[in-house]
Amino acid sequence: MLIGIDVGGTTTDAVLIDGNRVVKTSYVPTSHGDLLKCLLNVFDLLMKGVDPKKVERVVLSTTLITNMIAEGKAQPVGLVLMPGPGTNPKDYQLGQEPIVLDGAIDFRGHEIQKLNEDQAKMAGRRLYNLGLKKVAVIGKFGQRNHSQEIKAGEIISQIMPDAQIELGHKVTGQLNFPRRAATTLLTAATKDSYREFTEQVARALKERKISAPVYILKADGGTLPLEKSVEMPVETIFSGPAASIMGVLALTTVEQTSVVVDIGGTTTDLALILSGEPLLSSKGAKVENLLTHIRAFAVKSVAIGGDSIVNVAQDCVDVGPRRDGAAFCMGGPGPTPTDAMRVLGMTDIGDLALARKAMESVASKLRVTPEKAAQMVVDAVVAKIVSEVEQMFMEWEQEPAYRVWEIVKNEKLKAQCVVGVGGGAPPLVPLVAKKLEAKVIVPEYASVANAIGAAVARPTLTLNLRVDTEQGSYSVAEEGLTGKVTGRNMNLEQAEALARKLLAERAERLGIGEQAKEAEVTYSEIFNMVRGWSTVGRLLDVRLEVPAGILEGWRP
Amino acid sequence: MVGIKTESKGRAEKTGLIFFPAFDWAISPTHPEREERLLYTRDQIFEEGLMDLPQIEELKPRLATLKDIARTHFCVPDVESQITEAHLVAAGSAMTLADALEKGEIKNGFSLARPPGHHSMMVVHGNRGFCNINNMAIMVEYFRTKYGHKNIAIVDTDVHHGDGTQDIFWHDPDVLYISFHQDGRTLYPGSGFTNEMGGPQALGRTLNVPLPPGTTDEGIHYVLDNFILPVLKDFKPELVLNSAGQDNHFTDPLANMRFSAQGYARLNEKLAPDICVLEGGYAIETALPYVNTGIIQAMAGLDYSHVIEPDFTPGRFTQSDEMNRSIEDTVDELLDIWNNRDLLVENAQSELGDFYRRRKRIFYDTDMINENQEESVRLCKDCHGYMTIASTAQRGYGILNSAYCVSIPRGACKSCTEDAHEEFEEHKDDRKFNYICLQDKDRDSYQIYDVRTRNRKSY
Repeated sequence: MLIGIDVGGTTTDAVLIDGNRVVKTSYVPTSHGDLLKCLLNVFDLLMKGVDPKKVERVVLSTTLITNMIAEGKAQPVGLVLMPGPGTNPKDYQLGQEPIVLDGAIDFRGHEIQKLNEDQAKMAGRRLYNLGLKKVAVIGKFGQRNHSQEIKAGEIISQIMPDAQIELGHKVTGQLNFPRRAATTLLTAATKDSYREFTEQVARALKERKISAPVYILKADGGTLPLEKSVEMPVETIFSGPAASIMGVLALTTVEQTSVVVDIGGTTTDLALILSGEPLLSSKGAKVENLLTHIRAFAVKSVAIGGDSIVNVAQDCVDVGPRRDGAAFCMGGPGPTPTDAMRVLGMTDIGDLALARKAMESVASKLRVTPEKAAQMVVDAVVAKIVSEVEQMFMEWEQEPAYRVWEIVKNEKLKAQCVVGVGGGAPPLVPLVAKKLEAKVIVPEYASVANAIGAAVARPTLTLNLRVDTEQGSYSVAEEGLTGKVTGRNMNLEQAEALARKLLAERAERLGIGEQAKEAEVTYSEIFNMVRGWSTVGRLLDVRLEVPAGILEGWRP
Repeated sequence: MVGIKTESKGRAEKTGLIFFPAFDWAISPTHPEREERLLYTRDQIFEEGLMDLPQIEELKPRLATLKDIARTHFCVPDVESQITEAHLVAAGSAMTLADALEKGEIKNGFSLARPPGHHSMMVVHGNRGFCNINNMAIMVEYFRTKYGHKNIAIVDTDVHHGDGTQDIFWHDPDVLYISFHQDGRTLYPGSGFTNEMGGPQALGRTLNVPLPPGTTDEGIHYVLDNFILPVLKDFKPELVLNSAGQDNHFTDPLANMRFSAQGYARLNEKLAPDICVLEGGYAIETALPYVNTGIIQAMAGLDYSHVIEPDFTPGRFTQSDEMNRSIEDTVDELLDIWNNRDLLVENAQSELGDFYRRRKRIFYDTDMINENQEESVRLCKDCHGYMTIASTAQRGYGILNSAYCVSIPRGACKSCTEDAHEEFEEHKDDRKFNYICLQDKDRDSYQIYDVRTRNRKSY
């Protein structure tokens, strides 16, 4: 049996799955102060009469880290940068003033300016005097040559031995220095709290005598063993929306191009599934105001939902973006889309008389009947969602490309299916689908799609390898690994073989070894380096990926 | 800083950037114009995170159409055989920025795309100077046809003389073409002297600033401050465009100048071009990553003072007094030409008859083609006058192709239009030529007639 749990901001949803069958679903309010109690309660509801030994796997998704950052509860971090030549670090919006050290590495990994060790010492003293316990050290092109980051980290560590120091190249090796800095900052800021979360999960499982392996869902829809995830807490950001999308993959047989519409009270989350694969955001997730390298599904959050406020201006209905409280028919302060749907008989939530009263107030300003007003409100919500979906497709088409064939093929896509999940989905999603001329799917268990998605998601795995044969070295973006290669004429096949070997080792370290063999090459490039008129070496880049997917046993 | 723009181009505050390195296109594996050329530039600007900054908007290029190319070039035997898809993307990149600028989506733009274009002339038989089609000229013609712009200034900041762009706008008094470059006696293509100043009706609208090898930031900024910016202020163009080559850099392997990344950035800040289009620049590791970063920052109004190449220290290069004087003399001579341009045109027209004729030999270094041209322009009082070019291209000892090209300019008078059409029809039976081409810019209609097969191709 499998357990999936989504620890959301308001409720914690859970499902128990046996083979390809949902045995039980349950939910409890999330108690932020006492997560342990909340988890114990949900287990008690879910596991009544079930032998804990029968549980084979537990997967959690959570918005706790997301919320912690949003609420400013993450820990303060000292930011130390070695930006080298290029952009003035003041032009980066990292939310805090960095300490800048002299020292520079170039795009090939050559040291072009020595690290100023005195400045590093001064930085350590300053951060120590500020009473900071966390430090993030990031150098431009530090992923191509780690030496200055390591040296600066050592110097600072000697001055503040109790501090936790995160080095940029260990967190991510992707190009984009400010994003690497932001991702490293967030890693340092959330590690302790995340470790506490994992400890509470472990305790809850132990108390309920569940000894099955436990995983956490990442923002890219993949699972990772809980104990391995403590090194990369930010990967779990947005795992809530990821869970919903994995739920759609699990509950439908979507090989086509689909839009996932998750309509909640305050916001509607939109995601795209292209030919059966959820679309990832091209560069990395945006966390509050920080652009990061975190691999995440491209989820667009639109500020419109069942509880959005309805305004009338110049004979037009305007819905959202604010929410002042619950729907009027549920005892809230003013008219909302939920009231409109109640009046139109699209839902049976809340008190009909109150809903009518809410629509009458809208109707009087518009000089129409309450039914007509309700219809106008619903139309406005649908129009807003439809326009955002179309915008998403347009943005996807406008994604920059750097090769001739990518521009020439110039794909155009439109939605074939609209899949609704979340509480507000059943009445509204068919209307959205109709406008988009697409098929509508509202799966059974749509309201716990998130927990189901978590339960049946399988691990994802990525490895970016870069080889520079002129320098005789390779580097792996994911863990800051480096090594030597011999011979200047390595070809792409040989680079792929090396990448596979490194991926297998990485999978083993992460406790998901069996997954490595499924990796596919999703990107590879080779450049001859020509100096004068002769080839002096090659640059090879290979990316291996195990994309998000569903456990094999789930589908009949 | 000299303000040269007469109007603000739109409401947007962003700089549009198209980065198109064509990682799957090369002239040949070890040619300077190869896949690797923008690789380190990609690494640098991606690592800088420039595309994420709120001041910059990355755009995706579209493909130029064959008609966009036919509007500018007489391609022989046809447009299709002179281009690859990479060329359509490079030209399309510039045009994408033109559209975004006109729609007010961007305040200015930089097309960081290959392959380059400024050695491509009006007639195209093959590749010369790494160029097949002229991205800048194609964008200019597009600006005029689609958006009705008239006065446009092109400033060519590549180290090589942009002989292709010069050729295309030679007779056009509405396009001001200014090029500074390393002296043609010391560098390809061997042209671009002060006495090359445009056709008889457009004298002074082509201005060439040959500079001695070894010219530094100081020399180029002297030319900018004392010549280019004042002339632009005088000309009052609707658009200022920069053919942005990066081979004046002190590390460029194909040239001998001593320009720095800071110098390039400051140049673009002062010039404030509406659109930059990448041309050459082959110091792919030591210059391009830094120069491109600096240009993008300058256009976006960002601080570029931190962009310093690893082997550059301020004050590393100085110019001798002799070099200073020689640059000052060149500028004085050119200012004289500019100030007397109307008189020059008047004199030329009184000396010449109804037609102006010249012969040209053009060498295509990449494709080893020799072309002979006989060009004729009617000196019309009512319009810019129609033009014909009789062109014969040889490769080795054999004739490659020959074409008779007729061009009807924008705003052509009735008589020029009729005579041009007559020329086109008459030559259809002329066995001296393989192809007869007609360019009618007002109608935006372009034809190539195959004399042997009697097939006609229209764009």
